[in-house]
Amino acid sequence: MIKIIATREATSLFRSPLAWTLLAMAQFVFAFQFLAQIETYMHFAEKLRAMPESPGVTEVVVTPSLGVAAMLMLFFIPVTTMSSLSGERRNGTLMLLYSSPVTSWQIVAGKYAGILTVLAVLWIIVALMPLTLMWGAALDVGVYLSGLLALFLLMAAYAAVGLMFSAMFTQPAVAAIMSFGVLSGLWLIDWATPLGQDASFFAYLSSLNHFQRIARGLLNTSDLAYFGIIIALSIYLTAWRLDGDRKPL
Amino acid sequence: MLLGKRLGVANNTASMVNDLLLCARDLTRFYHGRRVLHGIDLELKRGEVLGFLGPNGAGKSTTMNILSGVLAPHSGSISICGHDLSHAPELAKRHIGYLPEIPPLHLDATVDEYLLFCARLRGMQYEQAIAAVSKSKLECGLVAVGSRLIGNLSKGFKQRAGIAQALLHEPAVVILDEPTSGLDPNQIRAVRETIKALCEQHAVILSTHVLSEAQTLCSRVAILHRGRIAFNQRIDRDDHAMVVEFDTNEPSPDWTRIDGVRSGESLSNHRYLLRVDDFDVAANALTRFTLERNWILRELRRNTSPLEQVFVDLTCNDKNHFA
Repeated sequence: MIKIIATREATSLFRSPLAWTLLAMAQFVFAFQFLAQIETYMHFAEKLRAMPESPGVTEVVVTPSLGVAAMLMLFFIPVTTMSSLSGERRNGTLMLLYSSPVTSWQIVAGKYAGILTVLAVLWIIVALMPLTLMWGAALDVGVYLSGLLALFLLMAAYAAVGLMFSAMFTQPAVAAIMSFGVLSGLWLIDWATPLGQDASFFAYLSSLNHFQRIARGLLNTSDLAYFGIIIALSIYLTAWRLDGDRKPL
Repeated sequence: MLLGKRLGVANNTASMVNDLLLCARDLTRFYHGRRVLHGIDLELKRGEVLGFLGPNGAGKSTTMNILSGVLAPHSGSISICGHDLSHAPELAKRHIGYLPEIPPLHLDATVDEYLLFCARLRGMQYEQAIAAVSKSKLECGLVAVGSRLIGNLSKGFKQRAGIAQALLHEPAVVILDEPTSGLDPNQIRAVRETIKALCEQHAVILSTHVLSEAQTLCSRVAILHRGRIAFNQRIDRDDHAMVVEFDTNEPSPDWTRIDGVRSGESLSNHRYLLRVDDFDVAANALTRFTLERNWILRELRRNTSPLEQVFVDLTCNDKNHFA
């Protein structure tokens, strides 16, 4: 049942010009900044090589590029998820799901899986680009892969938050703005920490910190758990919201 | 596996289930603290078509949403084919086909894709679903538009796609919220034919504002008013009364001399209500009678049961009824 709903969600996204425009624009912006990073690297390559334990091309080009990709997701993912449930609510097609023998959990899981399928395409586009460096440079595969993992976790968490707001609002634009606001808040919340103070509560909340640690190749449970908690909580609240439609308040 | 489940259920609950397909008890629902349904009781047997009437805002759509599992009631219970809708929603909902007021269509999908999705959503395997889709397309006259985008179809076709979606999985209980609204007369007739054909195997609830539609289609009518069922009775075609009107200057004849007519009373000038033994016999005799005398027959019809009067009495003078 989940698969059926997921397939429908993914095809519906690919049928609209939205997904294609997003993929094209993401590709364009990412490629542009990726080339800019390479330019910068070329510029400083000589000096870098002179340094002891000099950072390689992966650290200087790939990791920051993925960081930029992560920031782009702040804009792209809320737009991808915004009409997932709010559109169905508006068109009355949510009724079809509600009157069918499926649970709220199955609806949410299906929707989420469908969105992740589309986002996986975006992720692959981003992932392929650094591979071009392999023609001229030695890529640190470990750091590259953990960078991709960090990006995927971040995208999955964003999608879950986006889906949650899509369930809460009837107007897709409101859902998009809400998820953009909350996600960028989480991204920047670290700034609330006074300078010089470390490991505060705000620092833990910041998605930027967790993303950067994994992206640099430092895998630890705390960071993985952070994304896991966001995903689980958002999915739970989404299902709860859908149940709330039917259950008397 | 699915089929096995269905059969198993049918065996368990034996003949009772076969008759009583839907049983709702004491449904109440609040909206923002306001009570919109006050203890609705409904029963529906196989072969019944229940017409659901009531002024706008009486709670028809809310009731239908509750019966189809889209909304949960604040209190009360619904059982569909012996399955409790709140305790075993997955089992109960397999037996429900629902067309909401706004057909839940995927405008970006073709009719085929949409119906296939709906069939799979109701738990059918792929091959089974394909067969069900082509069958329901045939029933609902959608064969010609199978590969067209629903968003590009006319309102009539959209409505039919909505109906097809509700009938796809051959549910025991079919719930249709204003199925003929927005259709042209030919399409209305086609939809009515479809509903008539349905009632042999299924139980149908349909809401409508067209009283004549309720009269021709339904075996029973429930009138909902201010969240209560104000009227719930079988309506039978009255074969023993007819209304006739003539264009003539002659005084009224002795009705008893006409075949099949027992008595007559004057409704207005040259308009009569006749008590008859058999409608067809009396109609033939009356036609002959008027031809012999060179009268002009203005009107000859069955005396419709006083549904409109009931409706108006119950819902217009609400201040007297529910003050």
